[in-house]
Amino acid sequence: MEIGTHLLANYAEVVAVALFGIGFTNLLLQKNMIKKIIGLNIMDTAVYLFLAEKGYIEGHIAPIVMNGNVSPDTYINPVPSGLVLTGIVVSVSVTALMLSLTIRLYRRYHTLDLDEITMRLKKEGL
Amino acid sequence: MEHCLLLPVFFPILAGVLLLLKRDFKERRSLLVYTGAVLVLGGAFAFFAVMVPADGVTLFYLTKEFPIFFELDTLGRFFSVTVTLVWVLAGFFSFEYMKHEKNEKRYYGVYLIVFGVLLGLDFAGNLITLYLFYELMTLTSLPLVLHTQSREAVMAGLRYLFFSFAGAYMALFGIYFICHFGTTLRFTAGGVIPAGALAEHKTLFLVVAFLMIMGFGVKAGMFPLHAWLPAAHPVAPGPASAALSGVIVKGGVLAVIRVVYQMIGVDFLRGTWVQTVWMTLALITVFMGSMLAFGEPALKKRLAYSTVSQLSYILFGLSVMQGEAVTGALLHVAAHAFIKVALFLCAAAIIYRTGCTRVDELRGIGRGMPVTLWCYTIVSLGLIGIPPASGFVSKWLLASGSLASGIPVFSWLGPAVLLVSALLTAGYLLPVTMKGFFPGEGYDASRFTGKEPPLIMLVPLLVFAALTVLIGLLPNALTDSLYTYAVHLLTLEV
Amino acid sequence: MEIIRNFPCLSILLAMFSAIISSALKGAGARRLNTFVVTAVGVLSACTLYFTHVTGKSYVYVMGHFPAPLGNEIRFGTLEAGMALFFCVIMLFSLNGGREKIRLEIDPGKENLYYIMVDLLLSSLLALVYTNDLFTAYVFVEINTIAACGLIMIMESGRAIEAATRYMIMSLLGSGLFLIGLCMLYDMTGHLLMSNVQESVRQIAAEGSYMIPLLVTIALMVVGLAIKSALFPFHAWLPDAYGYSTVSSAAMLSSLVSKGYIFLLIKIIYRVIGFDIFVQSRIINVLFVFGLAGMIMGSTSAIRENDIRRMISYSSVAQIGYIYMGFGLGTTAGMVASVFHILAHAATKSLLFVSGVGLTDVADDNKQFIELTGAAYRNVCAGLAFTVGALSMVGIPLFSGFISKLLFSQAAVQSNLKMLPALIVLAISTVLNTIYFMKTVIRIYTPIKSGYPSVFAKDHPLYALTLLCFVALNIVLGMCSQPIADWITQGLSVFA
Repeated sequence: MEIGTHLLANYAEVVAVALFGIGFTNLLLQKNMIKKIIGLNIMDTAVYLFLAEKGYIEGHIAPIVMNGNVSPDTYINPVPSGLVLTGIVVSVSVTALMLSLTIRLYRRYHTLDLDEITMRLKKEGL
Repeated sequence: MEHCLLLPVFFPILAGVLLLLKRDFKERRSLLVYTGAVLVLGGAFAFFAVMVPADGVTLFYLTKEFPIFFELDTLGRFFSVTVTLVWVLAGFFSFEYMKHEKNEKRYYGVYLIVFGVLLGLDFAGNLITLYLFYELMTLTSLPLVLHTQSREAVMAGLRYLFFSFAGAYMALFGIYFICHFGTTLRFTAGGVIPAGALAEHKTLFLVVAFLMIMGFGVKAGMFPLHAWLPAAHPVAPGPASAALSGVIVKGGVLAVIRVVYQMIGVDFLRGTWVQTVWMTLALITVFMGSMLAFGEPALKKRLAYSTVSQLSYILFGLSVMQGEAVTGALLHVAAHAFIKVALFLCAAAIIYRTGCTRVDELRGIGRGMPVTLWCYTIVSLGLIGIPPASGFVSKWLLASGSLASGIPVFSWLGPAVLLVSALLTAGYLLPVTMKGFFPGEGYDASRFTGKEPPLIMLVPLLVFAALTVLIGLLPNALTDSLYTYAVHLLTLEV
Repeated sequence: MEIIRNFPCLSILLAMFSAIISSALKGAGARRLNTFVVTAVGVLSACTLYFTHVTGKSYVYVMGHFPAPLGNEIRFGTLEAGMALFFCVIMLFSLNGGREKIRLEIDPGKENLYYIMVDLLLSSLLALVYTNDLFTAYVFVEINTIAACGLIMIMESGRAIEAATRYMIMSLLGSGLFLIGLCMLYDMTGHLLMSNVQESVRQIAAEGSYMIPLLVTIALMVVGLAIKSALFPFHAWLPDAYGYSTVSSAAMLSSLVSKGYIFLLIKIIYRVIGFDIFVQSRIINVLFVFGLAGMIMGSTSAIRENDIRRMISYSSVAQIGYIYMGFGLGTTAGMVASVFHILAHAATKSLLFVSGVGLTDVADDNKQFIELTGAAYRNVCAGLAFTVGALSMVGIPLFSGFISKLLFSQAAVQSNLKMLPALIVLAISTVLNTIYFMKTVIRIYTPIKSGYPSVFAKDHPLYALTLLCFVALNIVLGMCSQPIADWITQGLSVFA
């Protein structure tokens, strides 16, 4: 019972972790490169959701100073938002790199299936 | 003064490295002069270090607890004298023999390095130093096995390396424990591990002792890890196989003595399953080695099998853990070294002059090479154990020590096996003499006429034969001091 | 002397800016700049090492104007400075050893890209070593991954791209786990600076609340970094990535990239979680078991391997297993042994890669064993260097590998429960090591008449010099191990 209420109270974190799991499994198990990359993005997004949820305080507004109001009771925690921004930058660059690798592989082997590429490389004996 | 211990170890090593790095000599003569000078000087340094009493010397610290430390005790002195005699004389022998081999410079370079390493092994004052030089001995002697670079040599070298390293790691496993529990790593008669620790971890230490005996026993060709020896020794050039079979195998014996008598302690091992298994394995090896030698047609390989068998005489003597038996074992170290080197040198001389490698090709060889064959015969008698040669004394001590030990079954089984093996030894060594001197009616032995090797090969042979007889005739001085040392090793009250 | 406090920050920035400048340079210019930067960073790190060693303290350097709880920090003691110096030395040697291959194997137009990646790698390694901020660590972990990926795929063969993809996927899985663990830790503690996190973690542990989340967090971060540093069973990507990249890349990947992650893990253990809390958690037993499994499985895979590069790569799996086994012992002695093994393995493995390429060169780039027969006669100095590396790996006294084995065994006997498994596996793995390394050494020294040409040291002075330096480094680590072990112990004591 207790666990149930905890889960209910922190539903956003539960969703974030579940999404993280989905993304992780996709990145690990999908054969198709594009699906793998989508998994990667789901995984990263889940983390941002987690962070955003952590920084959010009910009823407070975005941490942009308005009307000279600097009271901490007005704004949400800005640090997680900063982390999310940094994280997005990282994940964008990683995604770009993965996509460029995929393009190269596709041009060479005309398939997106990583296992098939490996099979073919083994057959070539290179 | 203590630094005189370092000189005999590092002088030959440096001289050898220098020789390997140098360009080829213009003349073969200068190569020989260089090698000869280093050998003689190294030998002189070794004798000097042995004669002059000196304290131990620490070279440097590997880690805080593990210094590289040299110290000479009676055992080290005894071994280093043996090594030096064999190495210098076999070195002079190779001056003639190596004429028909390639890559002489490399051979001599390695030969000198191994000389230094062996002395380092004998001078080692603690377990880590011993292990260091033990590994170095394996590595540096490998080029001797590989010298001819034939496929056979490489395969034998590979086998040699595998067995030696496997053995060394079994021993290293034990060293870890001794380092942890031992009060010191310096060799101390009676062991260094406190009685409390021994009692607490009895099974563990028995396993450790067993592994270390097996591990270092690999070098001494103890069954079941002996298979490398008959492969590796014969493929080396003649004098090198003599040195390998006569001296390097003794490195394993030295390490076993150090570990059993001076690290773990015999009182702990006496009467345990370790002693029983050790004695059993040693006796199996004695018998099996002789049988294999008996059935082997190639002379050098036959001698190698004989080494397997004879080394286990020594190991058996050590496993009995009784004063006379240990004395016999120690004496047999020197006796076997001189005899086996002489035998291999005879085989080398025969190969060098006639190209014959198989025993049945040697009919009538006594007509052409009488001195060589006489030396062969004398040392053979020594190995069989016929008085007045040295082997008789050592085997007598081994047998009587075993009988006096009072260990059930083994006290009489041991001498019985030794006796049977001695008969087999006669069976595999003496036919060469008999067929050599008496080839039989109507056999033309003229192809051996005038094949007697030159003086530089004969002199080492004669010296070893003389030593064999000398030790046999006047054993008392040597056996007395060895017995005192054996008593000290066994920590008995005199 | 106070100016030295700026050096760690300066060296990170130097490496990073050189990467940016390199993008505007041609290949040769980028190469020279890179050599200069690596050397300069090495000198700066040496100064820092000297400074911290004399004072015996660790320093905090505030980045920007925000003080402790919010701002970003660099923190350095002797261990960090020494590690940075060591990384620079290995990087310089590895690059020099593979310089000719880089020129041959990389499209000349792209040579500067290679050096950009190397500069980035250096800067991210330095940041991982020096940073005191968890999120900064994460960002530089990703930069490190990207740079490493670039180093693998620079050859542009199908194999290399496939290997890079696989490497990338595994690394992303690892950094994903690390990131979520990091966020959870932030959630629990409210801090990102390592020292502040540790205070909160201590409170949590003292109160006993949130123990399960704490355990999960530690597990996530440790597993994430373990995947990235190729601990068995997460090593599947490793042989391809090391086997099909250019030799300098392989040497740097095995001896720097994976070691960078391991060093970060050590930092997390000591500075974020706290060594005692880490030891109390059951995770160290898991690490211990996986470490042992890696020691055996890596070696058995290496024995079965027929390609020399892949064999050396599998051997890395085994050696990484040693390091994690040392963590798993849960004692300071085990940690010291692991850190020493990081150094010993880095020095040896890069030596093996670099000398291995000299051997394959004289077999027409054929990496199969059968073709390497007698290669040591055709390239004498590579043969000798390979033998030294193999002997060190096998654990012959006087070389570095022996000392780390000795340290591991000494650490193992202090623990009653883990003594026997650790020592037995250590012995088995040593024997397995012997089998495949000695097999190779014998193979390359087996004489054979072959049509392949010989290579002489005087035609490749840089290569020969590099090998000599590597061998010297190995022997120094093997013979002067006591000061190094003292330095590690002292460094770890001011680490927390």
